Amino acid sequence: MAAGKSRRDDAAGQDVLRRAGDASVLILTSLADGPKHGYALIQDIKGFAGLQLGPGTLYGALDRLEQLGLAEALPTEDRRHPYRITPAGATALRTHLDSLERVSAVGRLRLQLGGI
Amino acid sequence: MPEPRPARMVEIVLRCYPRRWRGRHGGDAAELAALLIRDGVPARSIAWSYLHGAARERLAPRAGRRLAATAAALLAAVVSVGTPLALLSATVPASAASAHVSNRHDTAARREPLLRCPDLLGEPARQALPVPPATNRTADGHGEHC
Repeated sequence: MAAGKSRRDDAAGQDVLRRAGDASVLILTSLADGPKHGYALIQDIKGFAGLQLGPGTLYGALDRLEQLGLAEALPTEDRRHPYRITPAGATALRTHLDSLERVSAVGRLRLQLGGI
Repeated sequence: MPEPRPARMVEIVLRCYPRRWRGRHGGDAAELAALLIRDGVPARSIAWSYLHGAARERLAPRAGRRLAATAAALLAAVVSVGTPLALLSATVPASAASAHVSNRHDTAARREPLLRCPDLLGEPARQALPVPPATNRTADGHGEHC
């Protein structure tokens, strides 16, 4: 029982993005190929996810990612703050995407088996 | 020249954020809003997004605030527990002293009011003190240790 709980806690601890929200995952995905500032992040996310992030949501998610040590602000260029993914952020994103892939595979298989 | 109305609306909403946030993101956020408005995003939706973010920023507990709340709770607990204990330590030893005296069959001490000799040192210090002999008591039954 205790071992099971501990395993569950470990699994939850590894996928830190599970509870960070969709915006955090989208931002880290966008930052995965290089640093970007707010406007570039919104444009990029709109391009690959078809979703227009609100600027308030963007800054809230960036603050959360910084607090978690998954993203960091670079020195200001003009009035813009570029952000980049940290090594911990890259690991967390990889873990989260692996988890999503597993869920996706199971979902597709079950849809096939169910004939839906 | 006055600012265009949409930019002014966003600027007003940005003032809803805490000062700390504005110091860090304020310029960046205004610049981003200007770029989005230029791209045709309605200023109202940008303002609404910032307003929502400002509310979240103000309502979300921060580490510092959590620490302050914990410290305040601890202080309240110490005061609420400590005050009755301090009152007890001030009153109980006096009654205990009275009982101690009455066990020695001292009739003068039996007439002593209970709260006449408050022990300001508290229970542990009182126990560490030697018990004075019965002969040390004054005529009105009030011990010298007071």
